[in-house]
Amino acid sequence: MPSASHLTTCCSLALIALSACAPARAGDWVSYRDAYRAMVVFEKYGGQKNFLQSQLQVAPQERGTSLDGVQLTLAGKTNQVNLPLDSLGRTAFPLLKGAYDENVALMLSRKIGGFSLRPRVSIALQADGVYEDGELRAACEQALGFARYGDGSLRTRQCGGVRFVFAKRAAEIGVRVHRPDGSDASLAVSTGAAFPGDADDGFPTVLYRFTGSEKVQLVTAYPPLAIVPVFD
Amino acid sequence: MTKLFALALAAVSGAACAQMPAANTMPDGSRDMYVGLGVASKPRYEGGSERDTAFLPVLQVQWSNGVFVSGMRAGIHLSRAPQLEFGPLLELQPRRDAEGEGDSVGGADLVRLSMVAAPLAAPGGNRLAGMPGIHSRVQGGGFFNYYLTPDWRFTSSLLYGAGNARNGLKLELGVQRLAIDVGAHHRLAFDAGLTLANRRYNTAFFGVGESDSFNSANPVFDAGGGLKDVHLGARWNWAWSPSWMLTSSAQATRLLGSARMSPLVERPNNLTVSTAIAFRF
Repeated sequence: MPSASHLTTCCSLALIALSACAPARAGDWVSYRDAYRAMVVFEKYGGQKNFLQSQLQVAPQERGTSLDGVQLTLAGKTNQVNLPLDSLGRTAFPLLKGAYDENVALMLSRKIGGFSLRPRVSIALQADGVYEDGELRAACEQALGFARYGDGSLRTRQCGGVRFVFAKRAAEIGVRVHRPDGSDASLAVSTGAAFPGDADDGFPTVLYRFTGSEKVQLVTAYPPLAIVPVFD
Repeated sequence: MTKLFALALAAVSGAACAQMPAANTMPDGSRDMYVGLGVASKPRYEGGSERDTAFLPVLQVQWSNGVFVSGMRAGIHLSRAPQLEFGPLLELQPRRDAEGEGDSVGGADLVRLSMVAAPLAAPGGNRLAGMPGIHSRVQGGGFFNYYLTPDWRFTSSLLYGAGNARNGLKLELGVQRLAIDVGAHHRLAFDAGLTLANRRYNTAFFGVGESDSFNSANPVFDAGGGLKDVHLGARWNWAWSPSWMLTSSAQATRLLGSARMSPLVERPNNLTVSTAIAFRF
């Protein structure tokens, strides 16, 4: 068994460590270095990704946790950056060597309970709200290629479609399918999670499956929060 | 017996046991380093029933060029594909000697004068008493890991050079469930695996030669190669801040095959537990 002096040394080490981290309460900080490692994979990926965007998501574990007004603050010696989260908990993540080397904390502006950090890849939004079927297919294939790059078990999966995710209080929710013959049709709206594994499954979503002509256009009257590739 | 420092280092990677850390990306010219100190409770030797509690230094360093040091291991990640990890590997095999009661039995190298002389070590005591010490050795080899999914990886390593004759070979195969987030700052990892060893490895660590038998009172044992052990491990990392963490682990090992039958083995099931505070630079 360890001697009393050894145990005393261990306890002292624990107290020193606890006092050193006292300002950071459990649940309100994120390691920038861990986030960097997760996010830089997309940056260094050499495959096609021009239709894609990568963001860091702070994903609450409790359903219904509001992220309104929440932001991450990077407060290092060389970098001071505020990163506001969108309704899905996502933010564009700056890859800063100085912040990595400092091993700084990303501080959440308020407590949101339990959460996990996830890199999220989605399809970039168009300013005019018009999406060609062919471009969405290409974007989905790019997303699948990136997903397979990191996860070999996705080798047998195929692109099945895309899911438009809207804000819960969006002024207008819906996606119209505009066909070459001039006819229009609206796609059904249902509630669900934005990304697989998200606890909040209360977002209005519209699923579009790749089944028909690639010349179809999809039109959103109100910008979605995200367009998420769907792998079958 | 408590030592100031054990001849072992712990790693803090997501892997449950002191495996190599996962390949990861970081800025060019950067590194990720953990240094710490803790306590470990472990069998006095592999197969021994007596336990040691010792201070345990913690060290894990990774550089952006792929070089890493993790506990008693060092290597280089050569793969650029995220699903594969492979490269050369070095491991320090710690010394094993007859610390304890056996140390008082001098003359393990005495010339045997009579065929009927009594054994130099009394039976029933420290089974390593009278056995020759095994010097620490740097083993060389390689590792190959394959990610079944981002969270599960198959691991393997082949190392050569253990034992006084530097000809012991061991192959470790395993599967690891990498870091499971349990809350924002708690991570669990699990692993299971087995070790295969060649005859020379098992002879060095579990065999008893004729002169060893006379000196130690252990019966002569001709160890063979094959399956040496199976093991299960778990690691819990609790991050207090980006810099400070508590890392704790437990590993259960069951000796099998020829190693299990060795007269040096007092109990085939061994448990090693450790906890340490580490600082991340």
